[in-house]
Order: sequence, then C-alpha cells, then structure tokens
Amino acid sequence: MRRFKKNDLGGLLSNTVIQAALLLWVIVQMYPIFWLFMSSFKPSNLVRARIFDLPKSFYFGNYNFAKFNEEGITILIYLKNSAIVTGVSLVILMITSVLAAYGIAKLKVPGKNILIVILLALIGIPVHALMVPIFYFFVHLDMINTYWSLIFPYIAFNIPFAVVVLQTFFRQFPNEFIEAARIDGCGNLRTFLTIVIPVSLGPISSVCVVSFLGIWNEFLFSLVMMRNNAVKTLPVGLMGFKGRYVVEWGPMMAALVIAIIPTIVFYIIFNRSLLKGISAGAIKG
Amino acid sequence: MISKKEIREYLTGIAFVLPAMIFLILFVAYPVIQSLVLSFFKWRGVGPWKFVGFDNYIKMFTRDRYFFGAFKNTIIFTILMMSGEMTLGFIYALLIDLGIRGWKVYRFIFFLPVTLSQVAISLLWVKIFQQEGLVNALFGALHLEQFQHIWLGDAKFAMWCLIFVSWWQWGGWHMIFFLAGMQAIDPQIYEQAKVDGASTLRRVFSITIPLLKNVVFILIILCLIQGFKMFDLVYIMTTGGPAAATEVLGTQIYQHAFDVSKYGYASVLAVLMVAASLIVTIFYVRVSGYGQEALGE
Repeated sequence: MRRFKKNDLGGLLSNTVIQAALLLWVIVQMYPIFWLFMSSFKPSNLVRARIFDLPKSFYFGNYNFAKFNEEGITILIYLKNSAIVTGVSLVILMITSVLAAYGIAKLKVPGKNILIVILLALIGIPVHALMVPIFYFFVHLDMINTYWSLIFPYIAFNIPFAVVVLQTFFRQFPNEFIEAARIDGCGNLRTFLTIVIPVSLGPISSVCVVSFLGIWNEFLFSLVMMRNNAVKTLPVGLMGFKGRYVVEWGPMMAALVIAIIPTIVFYIIFNRSLLKGISAGAIKG
Repeated sequence: MISKKEIREYLTGIAFVLPAMIFLILFVAYPVIQSLVLSFFKWRGVGPWKFVGFDNYIKMFTRDRYFFGAFKNTIIFTILMMSGEMTLGFIYALLIDLGIRGWKVYRFIFFLPVTLSQVAISLLWVKIFQQEGLVNALFGALHLEQFQHIWLGDAKFAMWCLIFVSWWQWGGWHMIFFLAGMQAIDPQIYEQAKVDGASTLRRVFSITIPLLKNVVFILIILCLIQGFKMFDLVYIMTTGGPAAATEVLGTQIYQHAFDVSKYGYASVLAVLMVAASLIVTIFYVRVSGYGQEALGE
C-alpha cells in the first residue's frame, strides 16, 4: 500500500462546517459502542435513569455469570461452543482450500475451467436456500445439536471464496521452483509443503482472518441447527436476551460486551491481514 | 493415448481437489438440487412428499401478498442501504486518501463495526431505539419531545431504523474497496492536475470519481447479492414487523420453513434466491473479468 499523501486536503477541509460534521459523525459512529461498555458497568436502574452519565464507580454486578446461568443464558458455554465450532471449521477449511487451490493452479485437474466457473458462481450463493435440505440431512443422521452440523456446512460455504482467492495467488508462483524441487526428487505433496506453503503464509492468513469473522458471527444456520442450550454458539445464545430484561438492561449490556470483545481484540491484532483479505476477495464477509 | 505418467499426474491433481469438492457436493450442490425438487412438492416435515406440480409457484406469485411485500421491501432495503453505505464509504476513503490527520484512527473506527457480530449490533440498537432508549433520551435532553417515537414499533420508522443501522455498520466495508481503488490511481495524474491549477475538489470530481467506476460496479453487485440474503438484522430487530412492514425474502423463507413447516413452499423462495444470485454473479464475472486470468483467457 502506498503511503498516503500528507495534508493534501487543500481547500476541502478548511471549512469548519465540514470539520464539525466529521466530528459529529465520528461520535455517532463510536458512541453506541462506548455507551454499551459504559452501561455494562452501571447498575440496571441507572442504565436507563441516567442514560448519558458515566458510571460513578465500576459496578461489576452485571458480569455475574452465575445469575445468567440461573436465567438459562450460559454465556461461557456459548463462548466455548463458538470457539470449538470456529476453530475446527477453520482448520479443515484451510487444509482443504489450500490443497484445492494449489491443485487448480498448478496441477493437472480434469475439467479445471468448469470447476473455476462453478466456484465463482458459488461465492454469492444465498445460504438460506440450502437451509431446509441441510437441516433434514442432519435430522436423518440424528446429528442436529452436534458441532458437526455447523462445522460441515460452514466449511462448505467458505470454500468457494477461499479457493478462488488462494488459487489466484498460487498461479503467480514461479514454476521453475516447483520444477527444481521435482528434479531434486520431491513429490508433489512434499514440494507443496516445503516450497510453496512457507512463502504463501500472507495470503493464507488473510483468507483465514476473513473466514474467521464470517464463521464466528454466523447466525442463521446456528439458529436452525442448535436447538439445545448446551451447544448454542454465541450469536444464537445472545438471542436469549431478546424480549427479556425489559426493565433490567445491565446484564444484557455485559453479555454483549463479552460477545464483542473477542472480535475487537481479533481486529486489533489482525487489522492488516483482514483489510487485505477483504479487498483481495471482493466479497462481503 | 494417455500415458501412465499422465494418469498419475491427473490422479495427484484430483487428490488435491477432492476433499474440497466433497464438501461442496454434499453441502451445496446436493441441497440446491433438493430445494429445486422440493419446490414441486407439498411437505410438512413428516410423512411422504406430495407432488403438486407448479402449485407452490402459482400460489406464491398470485395469492401470497406477503411475498410481494417481502419482495418489494428487499428491493427497497437493498437500494437504500447500498446508496447510503456507499456514500459514507466513499467519503471515509476520500478523507483517508487525501491524508487527513489521524487517518489510521479514522480507518480503525470506521471499519470496527464491520467486524462485530450482527446479532450483538442488532440487540444493542434495539435498546437504543427502544422507548426509553438512547435516541428518545437524546431528543428529551434537547427538549425536542415531539420527535420521540416508539421507533421499531412504528411502521413509518422501523424500516428507516434498520437502514440507518446498516449504514452505521457497513460504511467501513465499502471504504476498504474505495481505498484500494484510490490507491491504484497513479499519483502523477494528480500532480499534473495540480500543476494545471485544479483545486482539490476539482481533482476529486474529474479524476478520482471517474476512475472509481469499476469499484462502484463491484460494490453494486456485491450489495445485490447481500441484499437477497438479508436476514440477521431484520429478524432480530423487528422480526419483519410491525405488520410485515419490514418483512424481507430472508425472513419469509425462515418463517415458511421453521415457523409453519411448509418446506415445499419455502423451497420456492430458495429456488428464486439461488436463481437471482446466480444471474447476478454470472453477469458480474462476465463483465468484470473477475477470475478471468484464472481461466487462461
């Protein structure tokens, strides 16, 4: 990415009105999240009665997980479920996609062009349309309420994007290196693992980061598959707050904070790969 | 004749591609075909499928007023959300590209909501729009009580509330695409224009905007594809209400399938959604040449 020009705003931003509008919009953009954090540290009666006030002292009563559990909202279990589903999905997704992308880019595969066209077409497929058949697929296998009923579909839905982006990258990898390794007696798999993978970690991590967000935040399939409280992922678990706590807002604020902190931390750490992955794939996560 | 060596090479290639293909066949291809078949049957989740020909389609197109409402809303939502998000994204990207002081902070702030769970965002905004929520409290503090409403419970406002949340959340996503486009413009073009005495505003309108045509095209297509799929935000914030004012195709399909167990009927919507998204995607691939280099021209 080229360096941004310094102070090339010319007459554009000298206008105080524009500056004020920008500041106002930044407040609109950030205040809801700030308000969420702030409210989570206030006792419920003050969240609404003194809606704009900063908390006088940090009140941790809302972060009382035992109380959530009594209400049937087991935040820590949802977190664990989300972590397992996302982790396993990502590992299998990356292995299968990296292999397939390399195969398409560098090896002989029959019907290669048709394959690429199909993958491109599937990037935008609306997953709602697959919901009923996949639901009954798992009903027949008696696998509803299992992690696998989410993991398998999540892998499949993310493969087209991952393979298309990765194969574009592998294609640019010079054939001479692969040939040289082959002459030295490396098999295809060995060449792939020791020569290609180590220099491809950048794009691989970009794809991984984009897929992570998609899977971690996925809601619809989880809502359909996970009927049992013990296996719900975080987004579905949070729905337990809908229509509840009409008077008491504090606990829900705390739960939402816990729900968004993992992705905020993740965003801070992987900022660069994430932005790269998104513009490379030209696909909304 | 295919030599033994060639067969070996093909087998290796297939071995690399096969695991991914198995996932796609089982969890994408097979469900799409089954949805297509199911759309010609009546089925309530138990018992045998009953073949009804085109009845489901005919019923949806001629008698289902919810379908037309949802269809209309999906289009309105898609267009309004897209235009607002894109405008915001463009402004964000422009300010950052022009080198506003603290651009890293702005980029961080504007993209942050994109990374957050749609469910958490939606639940948060439900509280903000609630009767005793942040918006009404703000109008109260400004002594503008006449502007206080039950935002999500009023058909006049509910749709605009959802649209606003979408602008708020997704503007930063568009920003990334516009930024990538702006970064690709040769700085010398700007330098030349500057020498010729063009003001910053003039340069934006006669250089930046015309050269971003492709980015806008890509974003429109991606927004259309996203528009068909709209579900989380609507389901959580209004569940399609009040009085079906915010019903979209995504919430309809969920309702037909999992609230009233009309699986055949729901499959009609599934087929329509897949068809629409395939048409848009194919159009996109053809016009943009996305992935074209992969096909070896």
